[in-house]
Amino acid sequence: MMRLRTIKPWWVIAAFLSGMAFAMWAEELVLSTQESRLEFAAPRIHFLVGKPLERLRNASEVPFAFKITLWSGNRSHILREVPARFVVSYDLWEEKFSVTKLVTPRRTARHLSENAAEAWCLQEMSQDVTGISPTEPLWARLEIRAEDGKESGLPFGRGNITDSGISLTSLIEIFSHPAATTQPHWSVETGPVTLDELRRGRRRG
Amino acid sequence: MRTLLLTGMLAVVLPIGCAPFPDGPAEDESGPTNVNTRLIIESVQVVGRGSSKLSEPLRSELGDVAGKNFDQTLLDRLADRVKQELHAPDLRMHVVKGDMPDHVIVNFEIGAQHEKRFDLDLSRFLYHSKQGWSGQGHATVNIHENAFSFGMVSDGDQLSERYAGIQAAFERKNVGTDRLQLRFDFSSYHEQWNQATLMDAAPGEIYRTRTQFAPTATVVILEPLVFSFGVDFARYRLTLPVANTESSNAVVSTLRYHQRWGSAGGAPQGNDQGEHDIQASYSVRAGTHFLESDPVFARHETEARYRFRRGHQDLRVGFLAGKISGLAPLFERFIVGNAETLRGWNKFDLDPLGASHVVHGSIDYVYRGFLGFYDTGAVWDRPEQREQKQSLGLGCRKSGFQLAVAFPIRSGIVSPVFYAGMNF
Repeated sequence: MMRLRTIKPWWVIAAFLSGMAFAMWAEELVLSTQESRLEFAAPRIHFLVGKPLERLRNASEVPFAFKITLWSGNRSHILREVPARFVVSYDLWEEKFSVTKLVTPRRTARHLSENAAEAWCLQEMSQDVTGISPTEPLWARLEIRAEDGKESGLPFGRGNITDSGISLTSLIEIFSHPAATTQPHWSVETGPVTLDELRRGRRRG
Repeated sequence: MRTLLLTGMLAVVLPIGCAPFPDGPAEDESGPTNVNTRLIIESVQVVGRGSSKLSEPLRSELGDVAGKNFDQTLLDRLADRVKQELHAPDLRMHVVKGDMPDHVIVNFEIGAQHEKRFDLDLSRFLYHSKQGWSGQGHATVNIHENAFSFGMVSDGDQLSERYAGIQAAFERKNVGTDRLQLRFDFSSYHEQWNQATLMDAAPGEIYRTRTQFAPTATVVILEPLVFSFGVDFARYRLTLPVANTESSNAVVSTLRYHQRWGSAGGAPQGNDQGEHDIQASYSVRAGTHFLESDPVFARHETEARYRFRRGHQDLRVGFLAGKISGLAPLFERFIVGNAETLRGWNKFDLDPLGASHVVHGSIDYVYRGFLGFYDTGAVWDRPEQREQKQSLGLGCRKSGFQLAVAFPIRSGIVSPVFYAGMNF
C-alpha cells in the first residue's frame, strides 16, 4: 500500500505529461487563451518550405494570405472570419527572415528564424474573444495560402506574341494551368472546444 | 495588370470560404516589404545558350542596374525583356551574395529546356479585301541543337499566284560553333491564278505545282553582319497541254546587317531615349545552267528598314529595290500592291505577272496604337513602263496585330483596300 501511494502520483503526472505531449503532437491547430485573447499555434504546419522558401532564398518576397474562421453552436453559425496578409522576405546576407503584416499601420518583425517567422504570423492572428460565452462550443480553422508574386499571363499578354508570330503553345500553357492546385496552401481545423476548457488548460483536437 | 491579377487571385480563393482573403498589398507607406532592397546589386549577368545574341541596348540597361539597390520589379521587367528578345520560354533569375558585404549578384539563366521545347506558331495571318485570306503556321520541335519544323501555308498576298501547301525544315543552330548554322527547307505547293495573270501570261509561264528544296548555311561574320549561302532547287509542273516539268535551280546568297541601339519603353523612367533598329540586306539568286536550271536569270534585291521607338511612338521607314536580268519564273518576280507594299493598290492592276524591276519606299508612324502610313513605288519591265504610284492609309497596330484601310492616290474612282491580320 505504501509503495502504491508513492508511485501513483508519478504515474498520474507521467500519464498527464505524455498525454499532453501526444495531444500536442497529434493536433494540427492548437488553441489557447491569454487573458481575453484566443491564440493559435500549428506546430506541425510549416509554410516556409518548398517553392515559397526557394523564392525567398532567391531574394524575392512572398506574400501569404491567412484566414481564421470560428464557428459556434453546432458548427452551423460562423462566428468570425478574419483574413490577413503577410509579406515574408529573407535577407540574403543576414540569413534571417522579415515579416510584414499588411495592416494600417504596418507591423514588421525582423531578424527572425524560420520557425519564429511562422510563429509570429500565427501570433498576429490571435482574436479578442470578449463577449463569447465561456461554455459555447467553438470550432476553428486556419487557412494559409502562398501567393505567386508574378503577373499571371494573359491570353495576349507580353511574351506570347513575338516578331515571329503568336506562340500557340504559350496560350495553351496559360489556359492549362490548374489555378488552385499549383498554389501552396495549408488548412487545419480543431473543435469543438469551449473557452472554459481552454482556460482550464485543456486542449482538444 | 495588377487589378487583373488580384481579380484572378480572388476568383481562386473565394470558393474556399464565404469570406474572401484581403485585397492586394496596401500602398507602400512605410518602406519596402522586401528586406533585400537594402542590398546593392554588384552585377547582372545573362548566362545560357543564346545569351550572346542579346542586343546592345538591353545589355547596356542590364549593366546600368549595377550599383543600384535590389529592385524586384525592375529585375522582373528586365527578365521579361530578355525572354522576349531571346525567345527563351524559360528564364530563371538567381540572386546570390556578391563579393562585397551587402552586395548581390543577379544571374539570369536561360533554361536548358529552351532547346527541347515543342512550339506551335501562327507566323502569319491576313485578310486582304482584294486577295482574301492568307495564313501560315508551323509546329517546331527542338532537340538539342536541332530544330525540326512542319507547317502549312496558303498565301494569296506575296506573289502573283496563290500558293497553298506544306513546308518542312530542319535547322542545326550550332555546327561546331555558334557562328555557323545549317538549314534545309522543303516545300510543296499547289498554285491558283488570278484571271488577270492568266490573260497576260505566256503559255509556258503558268505552273500547277511547285516543289522546292533549299539547303543553306549561315555564317555570323561579325556580330551584326551575317552571310547566308546555299542553293535553291525548284521544280514546277507547267499547265501546258502536254504536262512538262521545269527546274529553276539557283545559287542564293544573302548578306544581312542588323543593329540596335538606344533604349526603348522598358527602360527606367527618365532613361527612355528611344530605341533605334536598322536592318539591311542584299541578296542575289542566280539560276544557272551549271545547276541544270531551265530559266537562266540573276535576281538582285536590296532591302533596308529603320525603326525608331520612343514611349508611345513608333516610326518605321522601309526601302526596297530589286532587279532581275534574264528570264525568271513567276515566283521570282517582284510584286507590289499587297499588304506590305503600295498598300491600297491591287497588285493585279499594277502588274499581274510581277515585274523585273522594283523600287519601293514606305513610312509608317504609330502613336498609341494608331497607325498612319505612306507608300510609294513602281514596278516595271521596260523603262517606259515605269510609273510612280503612291498610297496612304490609316489604322491601328498593336503587338503584331494590324487593321487598316488604305487608299491609292490617283484620279478617278478610288476604291479603298481593307486588311487585317498579324505579322505581315
